[in-house]
Amino acid sequence: MPPREGTYGLLAEFDTPGDLIRAARQARQDGWRRLDCYTPYPVEEAAEAIGFHRNKVPLLTLMGGLLGLGAMFLLETWISVWAFPLNIAGRPTYSWPAFVVPAYEWTILWAGLSAAFGMLALNGLPSLYHPVFNAPNFRNGATTDKFFLCLEALDPKFDPASTRSYLETFAPVSVVEVEY
Amino acid sequence: MAHDSHAKTLPADLAAPSFVGAWQGRALMAGAVFSVIAAVLAVAEGSLEHLLRAWLLGLMMAFGFAIGGLALLMLQYCTGGKWGLLLRRPLEAMSRTLPLVFVYWLVVALFMKRLYLWAQIGDVSAALKAGLIDEIQAHCIAYKRPMLNPAAFVGVSLLCFAIWWYYTWRLNRLGALRDTQSADSTPFWIKKLENISGPGIIIYALTMTAAVIYWVMSLDPTWYSSVYGLLFLVSQAYAALAFAVIAVVSLAKADPIKTVLRQTEQHDLGKFLFAFVMLNIYLAFGQFLIIWSGNLPEEINWYLDRIRGGWGVVITLDFIFHWLIPFTLLLSRDLKRNRKRLVRVCQWMIFARFVDLFWLIEPNFKDAARNLHFSWGILEYAAVPAAMTAFWVAYFCMQLKTRPLVQTNDPHVAEILEPEHAHA
Repeated sequence: MPPREGTYGLLAEFDTPGDLIRAARQARQDGWRRLDCYTPYPVEEAAEAIGFHRNKVPLLTLMGGLLGLGAMFLLETWISVWAFPLNIAGRPTYSWPAFVVPAYEWTILWAGLSAAFGMLALNGLPSLYHPVFNAPNFRNGATTDKFFLCLEALDPKFDPASTRSYLETFAPVSVVEVEY
Repeated sequence: MAHDSHAKTLPADLAAPSFVGAWQGRALMAGAVFSVIAAVLAVAEGSLEHLLRAWLLGLMMAFGFAIGGLALLMLQYCTGGKWGLLLRRPLEAMSRTLPLVFVYWLVVALFMKRLYLWAQIGDVSAALKAGLIDEIQAHCIAYKRPMLNPAAFVGVSLLCFAIWWYYTWRLNRLGALRDTQSADSTPFWIKKLENISGPGIIIYALTMTAAVIYWVMSLDPTWYSSVYGLLFLVSQAYAALAFAVIAVVSLAKADPIKTVLRQTEQHDLGKFLFAFVMLNIYLAFGQFLIIWSGNLPEEINWYLDRIRGGWGVVITLDFIFHWLIPFTLLLSRDLKRNRKRLVRVCQWMIFARFVDLFWLIEPNFKDAARNLHFSWGILEYAAVPAAMTAFWVAYFCMQLKTRPLVQTNDPHVAEILEPEHAHA
C-alpha cells in the first residue's frame, strides 16, 4: 500500500479537560463523526462526548471466562473419573468441591487474557505509527498536561479553511494541521 | 485544575430531607405489622422456641448493620476517598443504633437457657444419663465450661458492647466537632481520625469474633471453625455496605445528597460491593472445602446437619442468592451506574443475608438438624427479623435526621462538587 499523503486532520489544543469536553460535545452535536479526543489520563466523559459506542471486549471476556471454567472443570472430571481414577479417602471419583478452585482460577485467567488480548485485537494496538505525533505540540503535551480534539479529514464535513475557523470558535490554545 | 465556573455549590441546608421522616413512619408501621404476625405465629406454634431463634437472627442482622457500619466508618477514615465522604453520615447514623442492638441482645441474654445447649445443661453427667445429650456433646460442654458459661457469656458481651460504644461515641463526637472548626484544621482531623480508626478496626475484628462465637457459633457446642469471625466480619460489611448504598442513593432524590452524589462515586461503591460479594464466597467456600477435605468426625457433622434432610435445598439457594445473583449482576457496568437497579441489587443482598443466617442458625437445634420441616414456628424466621429490622431502620432514620448529611470540613467536598471529568 502506498503511503497516504495529505491532511490527516486539524488538531485543537486545550488546557483543561472541561474545555475539551465542551468542544467535543458541540462538534458531535454539529454532525461531526470522524473525530477523536486525546488526553493524558483517562477522561470517561470524553468518550461519551464523541459518541462512545459499545465494543465487544466485555463479551470476549465473558466467553473467555466461561471457556476457562468449562475447560478446567471438564479436564478435572475427565482425569478423576475416567483417565486416572484414584481412591482418595474413599471419596467418590467425581468430587466436585475439589474441582472448584482450579476451575475458578482458570475462569479468572482466561477472562483476564481474553480481556487483554481482545482489547489489543479490537483497538488496533500495537500501532507503530500515528499521524497526530507529527504535530510538535502533541508530542510535547499529550502525555503530560494538554487535551486535544482532532477533527479528521475523512469526515465529509471537513474543509481545511472552514474547519479551522470552526475549531477556533472553541477558543483553543492552538489549531494545527496534521499531515499523514 | 478545578475551574470554579463549572463547580456546583453545596446547598445551604444540609439537613436530611423531609422524606426521611416518612421512611421512619413507614418502618415503624412495618415493624408493628410484623410484630403482630410474629405474635400470632407464636400462638399458633404454642411455644416461644422459634420466636427466640428468629430473634437471634434479627439480632445478628441489626448487629451487622450497626457494627458493620462502625467498621466501614473506621475503614473510610483510614483509606480516605470520596466514597467515604458520601457514606460518612449514614455510617455514623448506623453506628449510633448500637443502643437498640443492645436491647435486642438483652432478650437473648435473658432467654439464654432456651437457646444455648451449654446454658441449659447444668449437670453434664446427669444430662448424659438422661439421654438429653450424646457423649460428644457431654465431653464438649464439660471441656468448654470455662468459656461457655452464662457469666462469661454476659461478661464478654458487655465488654464488647462497651468497647463498641466507646468507638461509636468517640468517632461520632469528633465527626461533629470537626465541622465546627475552620478549614486549616483539616489535616489535623484527617490524621487524628485515622489514628483512632486504625487500631479500632483491629479491635473491632477481635471483639466481633468473640461476640459471634458466643452468640451464634456456641449454639452447637461441639463445633468450631477458626474462620468463623472473619466470615461474619465480611458478611457484616456485605450487608452494611449494601444498606449504606441504599441509604445514600435513596437520599439522592433531594438535596443535599443530590448535589454530591456523582455517577463516578456510585460506580466505585458498586465495585466495592462486588469485592465483598467475592470475599464472602471465598471465605465461605474455603471453610467448606477445608472441612470437606478433612472429613473429620468432629467437624463434618456441622455441615451434614446443614446439607442432609432437605437442607441441601437451602444451602444451594443460599449459594445462588448470596453469591451467584449479586456476582453476575454487579459485573455489569451499566447496572452499577444505574441508581434504581443498584438499589435493587443491594436490597437483594440484604435478603440473601437473611437466608444465610437462617441456614447458619436453625440447624443448630436438635429438631431441625438434618431435618428441614415445616411448622408454624419456622415462619417466625420471616416475621421476627423483619419486625426487628424495620424497628432498626426507624431508629436509623431518627439518628440520620440529627445531623447535616455532608461533612463540610473535608477536602473531598470541593472535589466532589466538580464536574466528573475534572479529575481522573
